[in-house]
Amino acid sequence: MFWRMVKGALFRQKGKMAMIAFTVALGASLSTAMLNVMLDVGDKVNQELKAYGANINVMPKGASLLDDLYGVREGGGVSDKYLKESELGGIKTIFWAFNIVDFAPYLETRVRVNALEDEIKLAGTWFSHHLELPTGESLDTGMVNMKNWWDVSGQWLTDQDTDGAMVGSLLAGRGGIQTGDSIRITSGSQSVSLEVKGIFHAGSDEDEQIFVPLPVVQELTDREGFVSRVEVSALTTPDNELSRRAAQNPKSLSIKEWETWYCTAYVSAICYQIDEVVTDSVSKPIRQVAESEGAILEKTQLLMLLITVLCLVGSALGISNLVTASVMERSKEIGLLKAVGANNAPVSWLILTEILCTGITGGVAGYFAGLGFAQIIGHSVFGSAVDIKPMVIPIVAVLVFAVTLAGSVPSIRYILSLRPAEVLHGR
Amino acid sequence: MGMLELIDISKIYGSVNALRNIGLTVDQGEWLAIMGPSGSGKTTLMNIVGCMDKPSQGAVILDGVNISKESAKNLTAIRRDKIGLIFQQFHLISYLTALENVMAAQYYHSMPDEGEALEALARVGLKDRAKHFPSQLSGGEQQRVCIARALINYPMLILADEPTGNLDEANEGIVLEILRKLHQDGSTIIVVTHDPEVAEQAQRTVVLEHGRIARIIRNTSPGPGAGPSL
Repeated sequence: MFWRMVKGALFRQKGKMAMIAFTVALGASLSTAMLNVMLDVGDKVNQELKAYGANINVMPKGASLLDDLYGVREGGGVSDKYLKESELGGIKTIFWAFNIVDFAPYLETRVRVNALEDEIKLAGTWFSHHLELPTGESLDTGMVNMKNWWDVSGQWLTDQDTDGAMVGSLLAGRGGIQTGDSIRITSGSQSVSLEVKGIFHAGSDEDEQIFVPLPVVQELTDREGFVSRVEVSALTTPDNELSRRAAQNPKSLSIKEWETWYCTAYVSAICYQIDEVVTDSVSKPIRQVAESEGAILEKTQLLMLLITVLCLVGSALGISNLVTASVMERSKEIGLLKAVGANNAPVSWLILTEILCTGITGGVAGYFAGLGFAQIIGHSVFGSAVDIKPMVIPIVAVLVFAVTLAGSVPSIRYILSLRPAEVLHGR
Repeated sequence: MGMLELIDISKIYGSVNALRNIGLTVDQGEWLAIMGPSGSGKTTLMNIVGCMDKPSQGAVILDGVNISKESAKNLTAIRRDKIGLIFQQFHLISYLTALENVMAAQYYHSMPDEGEALEALARVGLKDRAKHFPSQLSGGEQQRVCIARALINYPMLILADEPTGNLDEANEGIVLEILRKLHQDGSTIIVVTHDPEVAEQAQRTVVLEHGRIARIIRNTSPGPGAGPSL
């Protein structure tokens, strides 16, 4: 009889129940969408942030940023240490290989350009370099992907353009250099003429530099097979206390902590793994980028969590209003049940069962609608699908249950206080 | 000692004395009518006898038990086991069929039994309407379902609040005939009514005015089958 009454209430009051189910579905769908996006937003935001450049700098051990800081030149005996170009493919074979988005090596030197008086930094690099990895896989990596925000007038170089150069906009302006011009570059006793194929605006001190394919600088400086540094763009997990300790000294970690750290895509773990495959290298996170990424990610996740909580609170209030209104409408029916001998508990249980059945229906519908919303958010905001996380199912189930129960509290209180004489006889 | 005894009961709502010092005894198998103008205390008295309210003072003895001091939970149990309620506005559950409405009362009393519920509907002439919803039944039919629901748990006292108040003449006749049969079968019935014709069917009529018993009329010629006159 209990289920006949529940069924009767559910199927013969479709309009009211549909409204409650719709409210639950709305809350569940938004929660599902937000939770799925929130759990996936780390990778998505990381990928977005990767568009703004490298977050790891790999340098030879013992070398430093002396050139940047003090202008110490190669050949001066201080920073004359290099990485082997042949080992760079190993970067894509580390434990977190799939998190390495792109990397580009640089060999830098100071040169004279045309008749300009001061020396200009010339950087040899990979533009779009094809690599065959020891694992049998292949990839194309280099500046074109790493610096895709550059505003280039003319065209990007390819690795085969050994007679071409890309000139920074400030330098081009100062030297009156235009696309298609030929420039003469002199380094010591060696000299080479290159055609300017592109002038770029980077918005940094790179606008004062010239970029050419790596072999050009290697030949000019007589350092075939070497590079002076590598910029790496990697997807990373925001730092925490463990990663910060590891960054200072990995040996201070216990075995379990070390395994956790090594197997998590912390920027320090990726640096450590790069150092394992590139001989005599020291990888350093570019702190501003890495920390900004972490901060943006945390704020984005917090924002989505707050939206989820607000959705659930709104949903609970909606359910509460609808259920209370519905119960008040049915006060005569509830009074009648009490009059024929029902205690508070069975009547409350009857109403609660109806609401929970409606809530489950709304929750299931809302979950699937939420998956759709998550994909819409993924495609419209990040331009790719959002991964469906199975762990969201129990979370949403618990949330729907809790929100439905919380929303039912006022109506249950009303039922408990309802006296049959008041509703049946008006006293 | 009667089946129901009201001993000097009063009911006060704030500054309003709804009932004042009511004393009344109802015997087993008696049909009693309560009449009076609006505000005379009929409904209050009905609620107290029906275990839906408590007197402010005095005692209500039902089947030898003083129910005036019982908890709400115990009053619910007494109501469930001993009292059948018939309402002017029927109070049928709209989304349950006639049969299910009767079975709902069974469910909260003991175990629902479809056969028994059908039998109760048959007693009020509605067996063939068992699967109909209240909206598909006439007012008279709804009241008969309400009576079947009141009878299903074999109550010792049937309380009817204006049972014909919402019915036309034909249906009023049908409902009164059912009550007469119940009385003939030994049921104790208390009917609250405005209608003198309905009151005349009872053996005694208690007239309330301003919360007091103004007079008690012994009907010398209760309706056909109303049992021996007192």
